[in-house]
Amino acid sequence: MTVRTRRRTIFGFLGPAVISLALIGIGPLIYAFWTSLHFFNLTKLKKVKFIGLENYGEVLTDPVFWEAMGRTFTLLIIALPLQIALGLGIALILHRPGLGILKTLTRLSLVLPMATTYAVVGLLGQVMFNLKYGVVNQLLGFLGIDPINWIGDPFNAFAMIIFWDVWQWTPFVALVLLAGLTTVPGEIEEAARLETKNWWVVLRHVQLPFLVPGLVAVLILRTADTLKLFDMVFTLTRGGPGASTEFISLMIQRVGFRAFDQGLASAQAIILLIITIILAQAYIRLFYKEV
Amino acid sequence: MRYRTSVCGLALAAGLGLGVAQASEWTLEKAAAPYAGTTVDVVFLLRPGYEAAEAMLPEFEEKTGIKVNIVKHPYENALGEQVRDFVAGGDFDIALIDLVWIGNFAENEWIVPIDKFTSNPDLLDPELDLEDFFPLVLNAFGGWGGTIYGLPFDNYSGLLFYNDCMLKEAGFDRPPETWQEVMDIYGPALTRDGRYAYALQSKRNETQSADSFARFLWPFGGSFLDENFRSNLLSPESQAGLNFRQELMKYMPEGIVSYDHAETVNALAQGDVAFITEWSAFYATLKNPETSKIADCLKIAPEPRGPAGRKPALGGFSLAVTTQADEKEQAAAWLFIQWITSKANALEYLERGGVPARQSVYQLPGIAEKYDFVPALVESWQDGVPEFRPRFAEWPEITEIVQEWGTKMMLGEVSVEEGARIIGEQMEAVLEEAGYYAGEKPLIQ
Repeated sequence: MTVRTRRRTIFGFLGPAVISLALIGIGPLIYAFWTSLHFFNLTKLKKVKFIGLENYGEVLTDPVFWEAMGRTFTLLIIALPLQIALGLGIALILHRPGLGILKTLTRLSLVLPMATTYAVVGLLGQVMFNLKYGVVNQLLGFLGIDPINWIGDPFNAFAMIIFWDVWQWTPFVALVLLAGLTTVPGEIEEAARLETKNWWVVLRHVQLPFLVPGLVAVLILRTADTLKLFDMVFTLTRGGPGASTEFISLMIQRVGFRAFDQGLASAQAIILLIITIILAQAYIRLFYKEV
Repeated sequence: MRYRTSVCGLALAAGLGLGVAQASEWTLEKAAAPYAGTTVDVVFLLRPGYEAAEAMLPEFEEKTGIKVNIVKHPYENALGEQVRDFVAGGDFDIALIDLVWIGNFAENEWIVPIDKFTSNPDLLDPELDLEDFFPLVLNAFGGWGGTIYGLPFDNYSGLLFYNDCMLKEAGFDRPPETWQEVMDIYGPALTRDGRYAYALQSKRNETQSADSFARFLWPFGGSFLDENFRSNLLSPESQAGLNFRQELMKYMPEGIVSYDHAETVNALAQGDVAFITEWSAFYATLKNPETSKIADCLKIAPEPRGPAGRKPALGGFSLAVTTQADEKEQAAAWLFIQWITSKANALEYLERGGVPARQSVYQLPGIAEKYDFVPALVESWQDGVPEFRPRFAEWPEITEIVQEWGTKMMLGEVSVEEGARIIGEQMEAVLEEAGYYAGEKPLIQ
């Protein structure tokens, strides 16, 4: 096979994927960047003009943007550790020998929350957490607890979003970590258990090193997902009450598609992308190097 | 009635310089013949008025051979979908226009003035009779800058829907006539045993700005803007209204800031609140025993008066032909709009659950008795404010500001004064950028 033929073959295999990726992924990104450098409002297209970095300046000095960013990171800081802790617990239980059919059923049921459409989760939340008719308050009533105003109270609405995010994504973490646990060589784990009965020691020194790649993947994916969290919150609270659940993606959607300021929304989205990339890099450097 | 409408139609035709003989020959079938086989695309909402129109469609399609393709969206998506379609030169041949979108659509030249069609004798139904529309509704829903673009289609006025049985139990033989009565008499008497006097839909979307915020500006003499387009929200009248709303919350269910139309209508339908101020369009839902426990107790009155008068909420939609449609589609679209909003179809539209804006239909014998919202609706449409919400192109940006800070006010996260100040500042910034203060745009709302 000549060098030329080999190149053609490589291009034949890789080309379609690279071109598709460029068209679907890179193209819109370049367009978003171009838009972010313009005054670009869909309802004022006659006034479109190049304004350089003005949109970026407006975003970076806009307290509403940073409040939304703060809310998003608050959600991330609370929900992600909960998901990892609960997911790890579930993974460790499922990793134990025995349990038979129960284990299979549990694995299957773990897929259900993940398979539920985000928007449907929000609609479920509206019904279940309804102040007067919701099943959650009905159950609390059986325990003698007064109905809680979940959707209409800023603090409770935020707590409800955390609950749903944890409900939906803990199974994902559990399955990833369970897969990680299966990579621990059986003889090493067995030897460790003969050495000590302390589960923490086994986890810390034997299992955890094998879980790190999975954990980093979880951190990156869940961080990106949380920063992009939109559908569930949109259908559940629409960012309210007030601005208490207006996360960064909702804000970008509001600016871009309800106020139609595509230029400003694009600048917000590009800044969000930069933050996401920085975080992903930080996760990889911190965890891969130190463990 | 038939005689009267014919006379009106002929008079209009004569006024437009058409021969009487030509007008009398006009039929929908003949007018539509060149456009048979054309498909027109339109956005409909998931509301009773649209279901009524959809049920009437087969007759139009059979008579004309024109196919009407309906794309259904919830209200909150309808503006975005249409704007994206118009910007991209898409498929919609008919624009569904909420009264607060009319300035936006007209200024962007996305819609065609009706003159183009009414000046064409082949397309003009001699019985169109524009004067039969309630003037307020025609001008507010379909007009911008003195030009009529759309014909009123799904028409609302704010009405007081009340549970007469609950009021009677509490010793009232009539609904509240003024907002002050609501605060001083009805509120305390009807808020007890887990039930509340009043529910005000206040969710953070257009509901907050249209149904909640604006509802307590106008009857108290307030407004969004003064005559110079500066914020009027800090005026004593506007502040009085907004403070009144805040105080009235003690007679509303907990979590009222999460109530949208569905929750509010449901609260009355389930007997949880004594009265609500809602759009006339929800009459069908509240009167239907399958969806309302209080169907037999339901009564309707105009909204209570404030110190400045009744000034009820005004909302609703018109249908207009889009500029992006080609000539054939435009003609077909106009024929549909003209037909669905016609005098001849108003009664059927009403009977199927829609609310027409034709004055003549409400004068028919028995209508006021059969549809007990009619007297209140007709009264409200005499006393409404076209700029209840400003209708200029900047409203989509301003409503977002009102929604955010209006909700924060209700939650007590900011004081009424502080919230009004912030809304005012941000509103003026939007108007400044639009060029109103530099004289680039006329001060019309």
